[in-house]
Amino acid sequence: MSNLKTFTPLAWRNLWRNPRRTVITLIVVSVGLWSILFFNSFINAWGESGKEAVLKLLIGQGQIHAVGYMDDPSIDRLMSPPGEPLVSALNAPEIEAWATRLQLPGVVVSEYKTLPVNVVGVDPEAERLLSSIPDKVVEGRYLKGVEDDGVVLGLHIAERLKTGLGRRVILMSQSTDGSLSEQSFDVVGLFDADKATEDFYAFTGRRAAQNFVGLNDEIAQIVFTIPEVDMLDPIIADLAATAPDLDVRSWKQISLFLATTDTFMQSFIYIWLGVVFSLMAIGIVNTQLMAVFERTHEFGQLRALGMKPRQVLVLVALESTFLIGFGVLIGIVLAAGTIWTLTDGVDLSAFAEGLEMAQAGQILYPEYDIPGFVVLSLIIWVLGILVALWPARRASKLSPVEAMRHAT
Amino acid sequence: MTKPIVTCRGVSKTFGSGELVVHALRDVDLNIMQGDFATLAGPSGSGKTTLLNMIGALDKPSSGEVEIDGQPLSGLNKAELSELRLQKIGFVFQAYNLIPVLSAQENIEFVLQLQGVDAAERRKRALEVLAEVGLEGTGHRRPSALSGGQQQRVAVARALVSKPSIVLADEPTANLDSGTSAELVELMSQLNRDLGITFVIGTHDPSVIERSSRHIELLDGRISSDTRI
Ligand SMILES: Nc1ncnc2c1ncn2[C@@H]1O[C@H](COP(=O)(O)OP(=O)(O)OP(=O)(O)O)[C@@H](O)[C@H]1O
Ligand SMILES: [Mg+2]
Repeated sequence: MSNLKTFTPLAWRNLWRNPRRTVITLIVVSVGLWSILFFNSFINAWGESGKEAVLKLLIGQGQIHAVGYMDDPSIDRLMSPPGEPLVSALNAPEIEAWATRLQLPGVVVSEYKTLPVNVVGVDPEAERLLSSIPDKVVEGRYLKGVEDDGVVLGLHIAERLKTGLGRRVILMSQSTDGSLSEQSFDVVGLFDADKATEDFYAFTGRRAAQNFVGLNDEIAQIVFTIPEVDMLDPIIADLAATAPDLDVRSWKQISLFLATTDTFMQSFIYIWLGVVFSLMAIGIVNTQLMAVFERTHEFGQLRALGMKPRQVLVLVALESTFLIGFGVLIGIVLAAGTIWTLTDGVDLSAFAEGLEMAQAGQILYPEYDIPGFVVLSLIIWVLGILVALWPARRASKLSPVEAMRHAT
Repeated sequence: MTKPIVTCRGVSKTFGSGELVVHALRDVDLNIMQGDFATLAGPSGSGKTTLLNMIGALDKPSSGEVEIDGQPLSGLNKAELSELRLQKIGFVFQAYNLIPVLSAQENIEFVLQLQGVDAAERRKRALEVLAEVGLEGTGHRRPSALSGGQQQRVAVARALVSKPSIVLADEPTANLDSGTSAELVELMSQLNRDLGITFVIGTHDPSVIERSSRHIELLDGRISSDTRI
């Protein structure tokens, strides 16, 4: 402890003896950390926007099904439309919007081709409040109401079917009695999303879909969105308690892929941290070894005066602690500044084609990730001090006689 | 001149090995007595610095034994040798004695800090020794703002402040002009007379040797003469 009091002022002043080297180390550390922190928030924004975009498409933040539907989404595992008290729970203020859907596995047939598709019967009014599909209609129109018996197809599947707006297609699906229903539908709209979604879903009015397979008012799912993402788990728990005989799930349990991507993005940060830190370590060790070497004579004298090897180690380690700590602070300020200038969003629409593949939104909103900042900065600081211990050990191991024979 | 502060018995020191072996010291017997103002002279390479390093517990002999205040050095590890130097020995080197980022006074206090002396006492003693070496009022200056002679005086002050048993100086005047050298020697000799501080000074400088009360000549790692004046 008294060591620290003795050496702190000395270490601090030693930092400024070779301003050039100090500045180089500061740049290495601060730019390294800056890149890590910025990358972290950019990746987070990327993952977030991708997730948002996907959830916004159809999944919502959570869904309710009949038990067993998720494992076997067939017409035998439907449920009645929600009654009380579920409707009241769904109308609670912490839920932004909700909608009911019927979803039927089936095929779509044109004059040229038959392709598998999920026929989704929707309530267009409710759908507009929680799904981005209605806004993605680029030709024709979206559905008008639950009774609307037009079909809205994806651009890609329409192209593969060689059909188009104003043409007719036949949808086929299993009906309630086990026979195959088929019915022709007018193509009233085409939507433009990613190819997988375009190929996977065909939309029609919910009532029309029910009529098509001979159902009364059964539905396959209730989908809902919430404004406060942090509230998701309690809301899910609440709904599950309200509807104990139904299967209430959050998006994480529905889209495993998305949830995994989330984790992957996180580990990517640590890979980047490893790469950047390796480069930083080379810089730190080099400059600090040089600093120690230049002061060989002085360390010899300090040892002659009666400083113990361990005290020399503490002195040099303290210098690194300050230096790297300073670099870390600058890095944090740089990163915070960069992110601040970008809080209005980074418009990536120029790369929109590529982003569609990565399933990210077109505008990213980097945010301050305070725990991330703290953890990553501490990691860099501690690792930096650890690698700087090597030069410090070299200094402490110098024999005073040898050190003083060394020219100043 | 009552008891020996440093005793060397049969001290030899060799560097290197085989064809390249250098016998820096050969079988040296020496007692440095309390109150000595001894100079250590001899041609370049005769072993002056090597002997001072032995006396100052900076290095260990290849054979023989060194005792400081009756304490044999052979059994001590690096940290213990450091502690011994800190408590018992003051050093003044040829040049670059001072820590450049500390002021003169801070340089002096640094040794006391290592000894664990509290702040008020440190300050008091630092100002005292600064006055003793004739540098009142310059304590706040960094070494770079002091002349060569002043720097050596600060080094002497720092060597004194820890109240060592012995002060060792290796060519302390080598980088000074003759006038300044004379002043520094006068200072050390005065400290020896007035405060009874024991000095051993390795030097070629006749003006230093002139002032000494004991003169030791080294030749080829052996003591060739040892005279009291
Ligand atoms: N660390 C070392 N490694 C190898 N040889 C050494 C070492 N230290 C001293 N020597 C050799 O030991 C001998 C004595 O050296 P020393 O420095 O003690 O001489 P000196 O009398 O102080 O000379 P000078 O007047 O030049 O300072 C010399 O031959 C020197 O080269
Ligand atoms: Mg010498």
